[in-house]
Amino acid sequence: MLGSIKSNKFQYESQKLAMNYFRVAIVLFGAQLLMGLIAATQFLYPSFLFEVYDFSVARMVHINALVVWMLYAMIGSVYLLLPDETGIEAVGIKLGKLAFWVLTAAVTVVVLVYIFIQVGPGSEATIWLINEGREYIEAPRWADIGIVVVVLIFYYNVFATYMKGEKTGIMTVLVADLFALAGLYLCGMFFTSNISMDQYWWWWVIHLWVEATWEVFVGSLAAYGLIKILGAKREIVEMWLWIEVLMLFGSGILGLGHHYFWIGTPEYWWEIGALFSALEPVPLVAMFVHVLYDWGKEQGHAEAGQAGHAVKNSPAMAWIAINAFGNFLGAGIWGFFHTLPQVNIYTHGTQFTAAHGHLAFFGAYATILIGMMYLGVQRAYAIERMRMTFKTKMAIALLITGILGMTVSLTIAGYEQVLVERADLGGGWDAYFIAQNLPWMLQAMGWRLVMGLVMFTGFIFLVADLFTIGKAKEHAEQESVGAAAA
Amino acid sequence: MSEKKVSVWTSITFWRRSAAWVTGTAVVLLMWLTFNTIGQISMGTDEDLQNGVKKRIPAPTVINYKIDYAYDEKRGHEVPVIGEKELFFGKEWSADEAAELLRHGKLTQQAKNCMNCHTLLGNGAYYAPDLTKAWLDPKWNDGTMTGITGKDTVEEAMAEFLMHPSQFPTHARMMPNLGITKEEAIALVAFLKHMSAIDTNGFPRNFSQSAKRLEGGTHAW
Amino acid sequence: MEPVIMLPQIAADEFLRIFVVATLVLVFGVGYAALITLSKMGLIPKRVAPFGYIFWILQAYCLYDLSVLIHSSPFTAKVLMVAMLAYFFAPHLYFYLIEQSEKRYGEAEES
Repeated sequence: MLGSIKSNKFQYESQKLAMNYFRVAIVLFGAQLLMGLIAATQFLYPSFLFEVYDFSVARMVHINALVVWMLYAMIGSVYLLLPDETGIEAVGIKLGKLAFWVLTAAVTVVVLVYIFIQVGPGSEATIWLINEGREYIEAPRWADIGIVVVVLIFYYNVFATYMKGEKTGIMTVLVADLFALAGLYLCGMFFTSNISMDQYWWWWVIHLWVEATWEVFVGSLAAYGLIKILGAKREIVEMWLWIEVLMLFGSGILGLGHHYFWIGTPEYWWEIGALFSALEPVPLVAMFVHVLYDWGKEQGHAEAGQAGHAVKNSPAMAWIAINAFGNFLGAGIWGFFHTLPQVNIYTHGTQFTAAHGHLAFFGAYATILIGMMYLGVQRAYAIERMRMTFKTKMAIALLITGILGMTVSLTIAGYEQVLVERADLGGGWDAYFIAQNLPWMLQAMGWRLVMGLVMFTGFIFLVADLFTIGKAKEHAEQESVGAAAA
Repeated sequence: MSEKKVSVWTSITFWRRSAAWVTGTAVVLLMWLTFNTIGQISMGTDEDLQNGVKKRIPAPTVINYKIDYAYDEKRGHEVPVIGEKELFFGKEWSADEAAELLRHGKLTQQAKNCMNCHTLLGNGAYYAPDLTKAWLDPKWNDGTMTGITGKDTVEEAMAEFLMHPSQFPTHARMMPNLGITKEEAIALVAFLKHMSAIDTNGFPRNFSQSAKRLEGGTHAW
Repeated sequence: MEPVIMLPQIAADEFLRIFVVATLVLVFGVGYAALITLSKMGLIPKRVAPFGYIFWILQAYCLYDLSVLIHSSPFTAKVLMVAMLAYFFAPHLYFYLIEQSEKRYGEAEES
């Protein structure tokens, strides 16, 4: 991808900026995987880096790198599609570039503080300067405010460009969705001594991001991808996008209830949470069928005509198809089987949640964002038809094997935890450690580490591929065929 | 089956409006539920405690009372039971003192990043035991940890452990030394005791069972 | 009033069945939707479509089984069965929408 500095055939500055966001995103993705490997090792060998670089630190950087790389890739994706959709350059591109460097500097400082200072005394100063100690949104308050400012600049760019340029359906969804996404972050920026109140609002950020606004964001990206890659009809794609928005927000917003079963909130959340979270897989099924339908249809058209192949960017298309599948599998199946309160009282806070988290974040978000990176590379080199290379395929195979292997391991660990620690022993200190010491748990953790290494190998292939695919010769013959057809 | 050329079902405007209406309705419902819930999860007052008024989240002064977690026939699961008064670190804490202590405890909990190993109310990381009812855990109440730390009361044992966790290992997976001071440790114990009095709709379930199974008795103090 | 126990105890040996059945609900659900859609698209032969309906029946059975396993109240069980009935129409509605939208937007000039 660095190669795209040399080959930078973008028409728009906005798209060059998008590549910068993608570059940082991929570095943070690597950091996330490394931290995951450290934490996974500590599960097996607790003395590894003990009191030097503890599990809590590795895990904090692991999940923060995850959130931040995804936000970077999401912002990058928006800058990539903004000129395409609106037909004009981003309005405040200079400000946008400045915001990128400010954000990257701030992220670097936050991560260095996490790694080297780790914890502070129990005072307001720690929350302002070191870390806020709230899972996923640990960023200290100064960084919170910085993030808000940068996001406002980004949002200004999107909104003003939208107002000035063409107003497509995809852009309308994005403008509304990003507003909600950015606004929700404010819910995580206050302190209270009341842990229940704390978690009530904390879930507004976390749940309404990953199970509502991010999902709609992914729907918009998939819609854009289908138009760009397959040449799907815009009207049809946008009609489906609105139906998906309806179903995702219709189920996802009140699906928030499934986090309010046990945090001190009233019992009525049981029914609300169960009902709406049971509906949550429905839009995922619809998205799954829709992507495959469009693919099959356009491929059918292409074969009927002379074009031969409908897909203009096969790595991106592969990742979007994997997204449709992964979203259903990770968010749908792995979410559904422990979401009902009758079951959740046993599974809440076990490795089940970890299994679901790993597969859902990867399946629903990492996949499509990687697809967007391939779209960016295609544009950087102005490749007519981008084909998979050997490295693309290796990356896909290894990343998927790794994530599925980890998920299955964690599911087995979670199942054992539910039976022994929860159903039988009823939780507590001894119950916890009895369950942690059983061979089922230890072997599951062993396989999790192995599968993490598989995933990391896949990541190396992915980076190598993004660096080199622009110059690969696979596209050349296709290009000449395409030129002949045209 | 009208033979109109265009069906409303394929109208983008129709779906856009439907999406807006459904989203709007869901948001309004969520707002309404939030107002109700916020009312129910606001902390109670010291008077509530004195008058035996049950609150889902009791006042910070709940640290001055004995707390149990017992099966409730009506609700079909365990609920916290607030009992008689007891001293906490050898004194009774006034409303202001208790509130300040709880605040310090919560700040420390965040500053020391507890949630990236432990779960609190079931949320967090899965590397260490859940802390929701840690105050009531048999490990502290059956003499094990008081014995190991050489303290007489649960609160003193907990504070001692928090200050020097790796000096009292019970498992290969140890808690690291986080530089917790004496004041922070006391505040953290108050935070944990307060959390154990939160009505979590029966989570964690069968909490006393491990004690019965392992010790042949209840975990009562 | 008889206390209503919302969350009855679940025996340890029932968990595996619960997780498997809950998974099957979604697997059969997506299988049903996919088979019906694919056969309507002509990507797979029409005679495969009946298997889709078998999937739907299996899905309904699994959902019923799940509601029994987690000791749902009779009312909830009924609601679930109504939901299954609604889901029966989902792929058909979906395909109707696809057809109609193609008719409406597909005939415009090829992009």
